[in-house]
Amino acid sequence: MIELEGVTYCYPQGGRDALSGLSLSVSPGECIFITGPSGAGKTTLCMAAAGILEHEYGGKKDGRVTINGKDAKEYPSLSDISTLVGMVFDDPEAQLIFTTVEEEILSALERRGLSPAEIEERLASIMEITHLSALKDRAPHALSGGQKQRVVLATTLALGTDILILDEPTAELDEQGTESIVSVLKDLKAKGKTIILTEHKYSRFRDLADRLVVMEGGRIRASGPPDQIAGDESVRRIILPDFSGIRDFSVPPPQNGGKPLISVRGLEHCYGDVPALQGVNLDISAGEFIAIVGENGSGKTTLIKHFVGLLRPTRGTVTVDGKNAATAQVSELAHTVGLVFQNPDHMFFANTVAEEIGFGIANLGIPEPEKVLEGVMEKTGLSHARDLYPRWLSRGERQRLAIACVLAMQPKVIVLDEPTTGLDGRESREIMEILKHLQRDGRAIVMVTHSRQIAEECTDRIITMEGGKIASDISRRD
Amino acid sequence: MSEILQYIHKDGLFHRMHPGTKIFLILVIGVLTILTLDIPLLCLILLAVLLLALAGKVLREVLQQMALILAMSVIFILITLITMPEGEVLGYLIPGGFLPVTTGALYAGVLLTLRFAILIISFQVFVITTQPRDLVNTLEKAGVPIDYNLMFLIALRFIPTLQIEAKRIHEAQLARGYAPGTGFVGRIRSVAPVMVPLVSNALSRATVLGLTIDMRGYRTRARTPFREERMNLLDRAVIVILATVLVAFLAGTILPHFGYALG
Repeated sequence: MIELEGVTYCYPQGGRDALSGLSLSVSPGECIFITGPSGAGKTTLCMAAAGILEHEYGGKKDGRVTINGKDAKEYPSLSDISTLVGMVFDDPEAQLIFTTVEEEILSALERRGLSPAEIEERLASIMEITHLSALKDRAPHALSGGQKQRVVLATTLALGTDILILDEPTAELDEQGTESIVSVLKDLKAKGKTIILTEHKYSRFRDLADRLVVMEGGRIRASGPPDQIAGDESVRRIILPDFSGIRDFSVPPPQNGGKPLISVRGLEHCYGDVPALQGVNLDISAGEFIAIVGENGSGKTTLIKHFVGLLRPTRGTVTVDGKNAATAQVSELAHTVGLVFQNPDHMFFANTVAEEIGFGIANLGIPEPEKVLEGVMEKTGLSHARDLYPRWLSRGERQRLAIACVLAMQPKVIVLDEPTTGLDGRESREIMEILKHLQRDGRAIVMVTHSRQIAEECTDRIITMEGGKIASDISRRD
Repeated sequence: MSEILQYIHKDGLFHRMHPGTKIFLILVIGVLTILTLDIPLLCLILLAVLLLALAGKVLREVLQQMALILAMSVIFILITLITMPEGEVLGYLIPGGFLPVTTGALYAGVLLTLRFAILIISFQVFVITTQPRDLVNTLEKAGVPIDYNLMFLIALRFIPTLQIEAKRIHEAQLARGYAPGTGFVGRIRSVAPVMVPLVSNALSRATVLGLTIDMRGYRTRARTPFREERMNLLDRAVIVILATVLVAFLAGTILPHFGYALG
């Protein structure tokens, strides 16, 4: 259905070829799972296969892309190709244009020359496949990430194409969101759709894939039946994140005599009338590496925001290094607790990496700013990027910069919300290595994560939250 | 967090009205409001708009704008006091003969306030009672190019998303010890840490947004509507009344200025 022959492509901005001499043939009804490290050319491959490169991008192109037996060049416009190929991008927010779920899906159905009766019938069946009926009047901003991406998928299905291309559809999603997308894709595959999918999370999609394609440096490194390909040791290293050796029990356990850095007693928090946290008790001491896991809405983010005073307790107390976190200023607590938010792009505003890191140093009046700056750039592997524009860094580098910005304020506790979202296995490992070093320096690390694997292979203590309460708090050292 | 200019699903007077009728309604109100210099008439229009909001079950949402309108009113009156010292002097803002409060300035300030209040409220009532899809379809039928419709739609759609993002960015910067500045210069400076990420993130979505619009064929393929909104008896009645009001107003207040008098 789609054929790429010797496709080479270089973006107009220059740099090395994003794709070099790549060939791939996709048969009807096949599900191809494409993976590989960040920057391997997965997104570019998707855009080539969807005819986007041909019609919307300049740059150096070579080779041939055939869609349904016809050269992509011969289609008059992208809009014509999009009657055959549907595409879902990684950021669902940018793909929702209307203000309710139903309007979004209808908007696509109404552009296909169908009668009202046909539209009604297809709307109902699409809502059913994507489990959206209960959400039909919701506005985009009132949906979770997984729900948003399901709406995008539903709208793409509404275009009625036989071929679906999905570029990291679950990159920004949590475990539940990912699961919901996987289950929808399974149904679509059973209905005979041809699916091209790029992702990092191979293990979640294993059952779905007919063929596994591993990319590296704009080329196909390996391609074939998933079990056979994944058996190869060098391929395994690319597709499965490896955290061996990160956990290190040789670091002495936190001294019980010392006072905890953060102490939470009977914490309760309500958003309006809705309780988000109830009866939370918790001590965090220097040198600990803690994972907080739990489903969406279990209260993980609500809990950690109390550590820096971004949320105040409805009842109970939070003590941070002897200060009452209910009344202390956020900037005062920032001396003790550094909070790294999930999306690094929510904080970058400076022109260079050094300036960005310098912001927190200046705000808190940290002594010897230049030395601190050099130190954190080295610790986070960003010394080479000192004068670069933060937003031009790779996703992995941006996440490390976010950690550097917080680290520069020299907090005793570093709290991270989902630090591996959107990162590949190697980048995730780099983040864990940095955190491990910080733990050895005697800092306490608290990490909210959706990944059981990271929690179990990297941290020393796992706190599981459920419905606003701590369901279990298990030390891995025992 | 209150959502700015978002459609609210209710069963009110305006929700049942055809979008075309509503567009005509705000156009007539707009023409009347801008052309008249008569403060009692403007008060009457404002009252009518508020009563309509009540009938449309959106009065509470409209009243949330009052703080903004009051603040605007103070600014307008201050500006007119400084720039239009005409008419009788009623007193002085600063004792000792500085900043005279004059009838002319007060009149102009109140006039501006009423005009803006009416325009803001009527636009708000229109937007929060109309499904954006119906709005776009009506505008498309009225011959407005689809690109402009999409621009309007996307602007409305992203308001709450940007509100949520601004809050997240603000929190992220607070955690970095960011202290919103004091004084005028401080305030301007402290805008950058929040506005730069907000705008950059919004712009970085443009490529995917553009591709999505093209791939769904919004700009190239004809639309076959699923639910056709039709004008009902209420719509027709409202249009006739509005047309009468408009003609009477133009005949009574504007034409005399051009030397025509009725009767």
